[in-house]
Amino acid sequence: MKRTTTSSGLTMSLGIAALVALGATVALGLTLPKTVEQAEYSRLIAIHPGIAWTAYVACTVTALASIAWLLPRTRAAKWDLLAGASAEIGALFTALMLITGSIWGRPTWGVYWVWDARLTLSALLLALLLGYLAIRQVPADPDVRARRSAMAALLALVVVPVNHFAVEWWRTLHQGRSLAQLTPEDSLDGSFLGAMALGFLAMTLVYAWLLVHRVRVARLEEAREETALATAIEERRAEATTLAR
Amino acid sequence: MGYVWAGYGITLATLAAYAVWLLRRSRRLG
Repeated sequence: MKRTTTSSGLTMSLGIAALVALGATVALGLTLPKTVEQAEYSRLIAIHPGIAWTAYVACTVTALASIAWLLPRTRAAKWDLLAGASAEIGALFTALMLITGSIWGRPTWGVYWVWDARLTLSALLLALLLGYLAIRQVPADPDVRARRSAMAALLALVVVPVNHFAVEWWRTLHQGRSLAQLTPEDSLDGSFLGAMALGFLAMTLVYAWLLVHRVRVARLEEAREETALATAIEERRAEATTLAR
Repeated sequence: MGYVWAGYGITLATLAAYAVWLLRRSRRLG
């Protein structure tokens, strides 16, 4: 049977696992108890940290694939495709991180946005990822494009650890790293920790499923471009032959 | 609770929209 989509047995299983995990995250997250400090708004803990984590994972995958392309020994077109696919999904998750963070910030901080280190660096990360995707759209020789975008990916990766530790290095409105607060009076309650961990798993599975499909779509796009180019060359040759006669 | 629903709603709608776009594109190209 001719395959008409980028689905396979593996992606189907991955997709189902992602859906189940996401459904469980939403169900658990929305039924979390109200807290003294944040009332019902702490329920956003099930999705926001998981989204942020996945944005970092996507950036790291993009950077590692870019390094694999830059190293002559491992250079292959597949790394460039993987880097581009992961960056697109990374931009989506970074945008969601900013949106859900702002939505959480409004009732708890009183503002949707403030130019503190964590928020500013997150916005910078999104700008760098969008810049990376724009670079990939500039018409150029595939090798030149891959080199340019690989350098841009490495630049974007620098922001990830700085952003992660920003809440400790600078005075920010954003709270400290949830998992780093180990004192008993500050540590997260078990149900919140469980919901957050499930959110991490669900978002990672969603990312993995999207990534597999995005890489396959990128391969199909590339194959179509090559076919279109070959057809155009063939047509020009045929025209030249007709004119020569 | 409006903010919580907005956070969950926007996240799920965005992820679903991107997944549908991806599957449609793959069907068109495949």
